[in-house]
Amino acid sequence: MSAGTIADERSDAAVVEPESDVRSHTRLWQRLARRPLSLTCIAYLVLLFVLAIGAPLVAPYDPFHPDIKLRLQGPSAVHWLGTDDLGRDTLSRLIFGARTALLASFQSVSFGAVVGITTGLVVGYLGGWFDRIAMRVADVMQSIPAVLLALALIGVLGKGLGNAMLAVGVIFSVSFMRITRAVVLAEKEQLYVDAARVLGLRTLSIMLRQILPNISPPLIVQASIALGTALLIEAMLSFLGVGIDSTQVSWGAMLETARQFQSQQPLLPIFPGLAITLSVLAFNLLGDSLRDATLPTGATAESSISRRTVAPFAVSPTSVHRPEAPADALLAVSGLTVAAPRPGGGSAELLSDVSFHVMRGETLGLVGESGCGKSMTALAVMGLLPPAVSIAAGSIRLAGTELAGLDDDAMRQVRGRRVGMVFQEPMAALSPVHTVGRQISDAVRAHTGLGRRQALARAAELLALVGVPDPHRRLQDYPHQFSGGMAQRVVIAGALACEPELLIADEPTTALDVTIQAQVLDLLMDLRQRLSMSVLLITHDLGVVADACDRLAVMYGGEVVETGNVEATFSHPRHPYTAALLAAMPRGEGVGSRLATIPGRVPPAWAWPQGCRFHPRCAHAVAACRQEPNILRHGVRCRRADELTLTDAR
Amino acid sequence: MSDVPLLAVENLSVSYPLKRGLFGGALTLAAVRDVSFTIERGRTFGLVGESGSGKSSIGRAILGLTPSSGGRVVFDGTDVSAFGERLPLSFRREVQVIFQDPLSSLNPRQTVGTTIGQAIHRHHDVSHQQCQREIATVLDSVGLAAYQAERYPYELSGGQRQRVAIARALAVRPRLIICDEPVSALDVSTQSQVINLLIDLQHAFGLSYLFIAHNLDVVRHISHSIGVLYLGRLVEAGPADTVYSAPAHPYTQMLLASTLVADPRAQAVRSQARRRQPRSEPPSPLSPPPGCPFNTRCAWAADVCRTQMPTFEAAASQDRHAACHRIDAVASSPRLGGEKVARSAG
Repeated sequence: MSAGTIADERSDAAVVEPESDVRSHTRLWQRLARRPLSLTCIAYLVLLFVLAIGAPLVAPYDPFHPDIKLRLQGPSAVHWLGTDDLGRDTLSRLIFGARTALLASFQSVSFGAVVGITTGLVVGYLGGWFDRIAMRVADVMQSIPAVLLALALIGVLGKGLGNAMLAVGVIFSVSFMRITRAVVLAEKEQLYVDAARVLGLRTLSIMLRQILPNISPPLIVQASIALGTALLIEAMLSFLGVGIDSTQVSWGAMLETARQFQSQQPLLPIFPGLAITLSVLAFNLLGDSLRDATLPTGATAESSISRRTVAPFAVSPTSVHRPEAPADALLAVSGLTVAAPRPGGGSAELLSDVSFHVMRGETLGLVGESGCGKSMTALAVMGLLPPAVSIAAGSIRLAGTELAGLDDDAMRQVRGRRVGMVFQEPMAALSPVHTVGRQISDAVRAHTGLGRRQALARAAELLALVGVPDPHRRLQDYPHQFSGGMAQRVVIAGALACEPELLIADEPTTALDVTIQAQVLDLLMDLRQRLSMSVLLITHDLGVVADACDRLAVMYGGEVVETGNVEATFSHPRHPYTAALLAAMPRGEGVGSRLATIPGRVPPAWAWPQGCRFHPRCAHAVAACRQEPNILRHGVRCRRADELTLTDAR
Repeated sequence: MSDVPLLAVENLSVSYPLKRGLFGGALTLAAVRDVSFTIERGRTFGLVGESGSGKSSIGRAILGLTPSSGGRVVFDGTDVSAFGERLPLSFRREVQVIFQDPLSSLNPRQTVGTTIGQAIHRHHDVSHQQCQREIATVLDSVGLAAYQAERYPYELSGGQRQRVAIARALAVRPRLIICDEPVSALDVSTQSQVINLLIDLQHAFGLSYLFIAHNLDVVRHISHSIGVLYLGRLVEAGPADTVYSAPAHPYTQMLLASTLVADPRAQAVRSQARRRQPRSEPPSPLSPPPGCPFNTRCAWAADVCRTQMPTFEAAASQDRHAACHRIDAVASSPRLGGEKVARSAG
């Protein structure tokens, strides 16, 4: 039946939703190439490879050709790096030595990686007995030093670099196995692995095609560092004289020779020593760079943007009509514009001309979908904007004090004394290593100067105030001993420590269960009344607004699109977005009835549409909406507010 | 069509071994205890409960992602619980899943097309071209364009990712989809798009859903029948209309009174009802109280509730069941029904 409706739905979704035009996920190599240090390491290692592979062509002399007349010479035009005790050319021997070093390292690391990653995948994914046996074997293996095992293996299998490096590979395989197992254990809990199992994909395919690509970054890093270690071990074994045979050249063996003739030719140990040090360093630094480059955060891009002040914008003509907040408002935000530098240069307005006010003793709901700027507004009021984000225009007045432009010290005074804040995740807001009593009493002492004992008594009072049973005993408890709802009460108690005039609550109940959410909302409303505070309640849930707020401000695309009394706005929304949001809420209609939808999604801050920011998703948009921005007039930012009848939207 | 329900869950129990106690005693968390319900063909059974109620464990046990510790799962007349975690491929073709978080439920290193394509290839012997056509068709049916098969999950919005997850489930042409909180991570406007899509797909393909969520209003909107879970036990089940408009169990009443509606007047009625409820914290699932698990938070709790587990029996009508000793006392008191919230004219 519904082929038609599905097709309609598609046209909504596919046509209106803009593709994310910024493919921010750059390739690993591009990210590596942006760092000079990693570029240097890569260049050095590439050079080393080229020399090793092309050694017979590049080397000026045969590395084994002795010339007794020219023994132990210093650098000269003929022998650039001099000669050794048998008159062999040091440069040529270094070049051939690179061959041995790289070959040995790659042999051992590839053996270790193949064996270790395979075992790690299997034991990590299948677990059970495989896992227990493998881990005990690994424990034993890791207690044996690699060099010792190599010497033992040489003792059994006979001298030779191959045997020695096999032993090193075995040791490596254990560390590869441990790392692989650890990341597989974390990765197999991911839902996409569950989805693959539900699809009936084969276990082998899940391990190789689903999990392996996602765990490769730490393994690549490990391989790079292991290559450095292997190179060092090869040199060490050759130095001891158990590695290479007479047909090979090794940097370690060169060092050993140099040791004997150091008194006659002091330059002799320098070159092989440098070669070893530089190569190991290059592998290790490359490993570090790889680790940084594979970190999920674009940390480098962020840090390169310095904290700077954006010059205030010229007052735009639209802000002339800005509604005046009542003179006795506790918090009056007016024309607030917040800007951040864009990834590509220039700056983007995260908030534009945001105006609203909160009266004393009132609860204002700041409501909107994710990305609408409601949390950014709260951070701006608290003076907690992230680095590089700054207030470009507008004012934030708290009972007559201008907060915009206050320095950090002054802002800290305001935050603790006059404004309290409650966040979404109670556990993230509490320190896990301190008792709840310590955390609340610290907050009390910071703002009141009370003594320790009095502060603790005050903390107990606060806990009692927010409805934590048995407050005196619970002061000694740590946050993890509280349930989610109780922990949120503790956070609220901490925010109340300074008897704030304004409490800012950013999604305070979103992380809580339904029945607990209701209790916490009741608590906030009760506290507001008893302490005659104002509450700025930030939420995405219109149900929370309906339950707990007196007035609301609806945000969309970094702007306030509608403000008003909750009851009036809910029964007669005036902005099409408010109406559409209300209509999209399921509210107990019978099964199968269609919900109203808003096509598309909230655009990102760097791509606000021209004209009215909601027009691409608006069912009532006309030509003018596409060209000219709207202003907030009589509590609504819509040029068609007066002609539209939106109550029928549902 | 036979009379056998598509899915019958019989006395299902799921428990998780936790780390051993200090003195070697193994600790087990009984996440699901003795839960039974059925899902009819082309219908939706909604499971609602708070965190720790065991709702997701039921879904995972049906899918064989978590071993069950008791009871049976019967799909289309066949007992599949005996297979444990190694369910036959035919069952995998019939029963699919949509998870809550579409970003972690999609492999970040695979394009949308690869993700859907491997599902098709595993279950249907198709050529490459056929597979590409099939991918385009299934993307179209969830409201995505064919070119989006080239996209990686991080390039899509939350709503689009959830559509991809739905497309992956649809690709093998299942008969039952377990929807584990499919809309809780989405914004309001996107949430309604996805709910509409699920309803449309149900009609178009005759799908059955097990719809697991914590929001009673959302569950009510999409479900034909509803089961309410509390601490691993089903406390009430029945037709969606009845359970929603005349909840029999005190916990269902509490849940309904706590569910917020975007209508200040209707919400005022609900909040009055919820303020009459006793205030208390849910007990830990590790040490549920003896007797009825809800007795610590129940206004009607009597002595019998603290000692004896009530049986799950018919309440008021044949097709509605509740587990409550004091069902008659509860029924005779005034209560809140989740009547349709009508917009008042002003």
